Amino acid sequence: MMPRVAAFLIPLTLLFTGCTNLGVEPWERNILAKPEMQLIADPIEAGLDDHIYFSKEASSGGRSFAGGGCGCN
Amino acid sequence: MTRLTRLEEADGYWQGRFQAMASPCEIFMEVDEASSANRLLQIAADEAWRIEKKFSRYKKDNLVYRINNSSGAPAKVDDETAHLLDFAQQCWELSDGLFDITSGVLRRVWRFDGGSHIPDEAAVKALLPYVGWQHVNWSRPFFTLPQGMEIDFGGIGKEYAVDRTLLCLQEVTDAGLLVNFGGDIHAGRRKKDAGAWSIGIENPNQPDSANGILKIHQGALATSGDARRFLLRDGKRYGHVMNPKTGWPIENAPRSVTVAADTCTEAGVLATLALLHGEDAETFLKGQAVQYWLND
Amino acid sequence: MQLKDKSKKIRRSLTAATCSLLGISTTDTPAEEGDWEFDSAVLYYSEVDRVSAIEPVITAKREFSDEKSLNLKLVFDALTGASANGATPSDQPQTFTKPSGEGSYTASANETPLDDTFKDFRMAFSSQWDQPLNRDYKASLGGNFSTEYDYLSLSVNGSLSRDFNKRNTTLSVGISLAHDTISPDGDLPVGFSSMVIDTGQAGFEDDFDATREGSEDTKTTLDLIFGLTQVIDQHTVMQLSYSISDSSGYLTDPFKILSVVGSDGRPVDYRYEKRPDSRNKQGLYWQTKHHFSKDILDISYRFFWDDWDITSHTLDLRYRWMLGGQQYLEPHFRYYSQSEADFYRRFLVDGDVLPDYASADYRLGELTGITLGLKYGFKLANEQELSMRLEYYLQSGDSPDGNAPGILSDMELFPDVEAIILQFNYAF
Repeated sequence: MMPRVAAFLIPLTLLFTGCTNLGVEPWERNILAKPEMQLIADPIEAGLDDHIYFSKEASSGGRSFAGGGCGCN
Repeated sequence: MTRLTRLEEADGYWQGRFQAMASPCEIFMEVDEASSANRLLQIAADEAWRIEKKFSRYKKDNLVYRINNSSGAPAKVDDETAHLLDFAQQCWELSDGLFDITSGVLRRVWRFDGGSHIPDEAAVKALLPYVGWQHVNWSRPFFTLPQGMEIDFGGIGKEYAVDRTLLCLQEVTDAGLLVNFGGDIHAGRRKKDAGAWSIGIENPNQPDSANGILKIHQGALATSGDARRFLLRDGKRYGHVMNPKTGWPIENAPRSVTVAADTCTEAGVLATLALLHGEDAETFLKGQAVQYWLND
Repeated sequence: MQLKDKSKKIRRSLTAATCSLLGISTTDTPAEEGDWEFDSAVLYYSEVDRVSAIEPVITAKREFSDEKSLNLKLVFDALTGASANGATPSDQPQTFTKPSGEGSYTASANETPLDDTFKDFRMAFSSQWDQPLNRDYKASLGGNFSTEYDYLSLSVNGSLSRDFNKRNTTLSVGISLAHDTISPDGDLPVGFSSMVIDTGQAGFEDDFDATREGSEDTKTTLDLIFGLTQVIDQHTVMQLSYSISDSSGYLTDPFKILSVVGSDGRPVDYRYEKRPDSRNKQGLYWQTKHHFSKDILDISYRFFWDDWDITSHTLDLRYRWMLGGQQYLEPHFRYYSQSEADFYRRFLVDGDVLPDYASADYRLGELTGITLGLKYGFKLANEQELSMRLEYYLQSGDSPDGNAPGILSDMELFPDVEAIILQFNYAF
């Protein structure tokens, strides 16, 4: 599996260097600073959803740790 | 403070008045009914009074007072204050440290009452360690002000209140509106008179006369400098705009600068920045591509 | 010329700064340092004819000076109902021994065998400490504790992030180490051992004990996440992350079995399932949020794969539609599809050589899940917020390629799972 990891990290680096023109000035963050614009706007809901889908599907993780923590049925 | 509002009908609009931030405040409203005019006037007055109460350094029960008496401890601030602090910091950065909301401390020795008392250099020097935004720690939402320093939103508060008040009114009506707090003005588009408002511009040399009528459709005007606030000594005139780096008033600045911009806050900061450029005020304004009026 | 250029820049920056200043709401509630902020929710999850769960959650957050914060979370989870045990349906009633070995349960003819002995209560507590290390670096440390009647999980995690480019770009790396212990009532079954059915025979208990090995086992999981968050413009933020998770130890489900069927499709035996003792999962996750003049679009996609040969795609779409008056409606759509694990078998065939591993757990089979939801929320005064959501989840397994023997060709081997999710939230 490791070669696949490397293959994905390369475009990530390219993207990062390509991103230096993107972004906003500190005083242009009023919209981005809203609670509802946070990537995980509702952490409780995200946690509950992660738990539901962890119990019902074979995949987990992605936005946060794949974890475990239950013997879910 | 009087909490009164007055409403008068004029030709095709209603004019409401009240007192806030030590200024006469006027709201012009193109509505038909007295009841709607009165409702708008109350909204406007409430917003102006709210901002005054919240940001005035003369009140003892607000956040500004708590910050100024925090003895160097971090104070947690709400979103609105945080935005104003962000804005103050940006103005400070943009002006290379000339626009500074901590320079009010200098008023302890400078009293611009039209008289001739000039403080001695040692007294000014002794205050300088307590002036300068670089000494504060602003890390949202915590603001830490070293002991002995003060902040004062006076330089932007009134203009901010004008803009906020117009925004509040525009949330509830699409009528033509003009907000004027002591000469700082923000107008929304009129329906009548080809959509334009006529505004007189005060001549600071003759404080009670108007030397020009300006027609604006929408936008804002703000004036910095004050014909009444200065010191006169040995034929030299000291305006009340201070250089926070020296502790002395800016020299050779125009008596007042009026700037037109999209918002009153922006116009006000541009006008103040112009004054802070002293004799280069006009050069500065020319570079900004704004309409301006100088009174020397 | 230089002066002019610089001055022009002042005007532009000032205009932007003013817009930012005036584009804000004016709630007048400065929370004092040290105030706890609470967020709570109750989730009700109910599958048609199967499991239902009620799950209250409360979180508390306390901010300290210098952007330090402590987050605590407590979750309770009460679960009742029935879950597919993995066996195939039959045209005769089927009797199974309970996982505890004490008593049995029965599936009617033509029905998917469900183990209805599930009653569990879970309590989980987690805490997380965040703080900046300096201007650019932030660190986070946390711990989780989760306990059930027959399951205990402990984990610690840490992450480090660094801001670049005026905080428009953030790179982060996180690590989590978890240690789980499973100790089911009736001990752990021997993989592939035959289920002993109590028909009143004298030696049942000895026979049952012979299918057991040890009272508990453990698994450890190491997770790593590498994240990149990028502010695109004033209205858009994007995240990309790559995660890798390595589990080893007891990964089998001790409650799941496989039917061993004869050529007529009828069961001749039931065997406890057996999974590999290690699993490596990887995921790529992309999320973008965009703020229109009022509404917010939240879109994410995850590609997941593991060394059990499962790959999956998850697409998640949310649109927060601002109604004015601090209210919003948020429709939600989620699409999920996975391929089956290489050792997934719907059943075993009598007489065939046993594979190294096998499981009939439908969650390891090929399946598609669709979620449709709607959330309604509104803000009250004093920064309190209420919201509720109702979602419908439909999971469909994919039918085999028509080679099921005998009676199984007429049976529903992959019944849909339908669930309703109802949640209330209150932040104060």
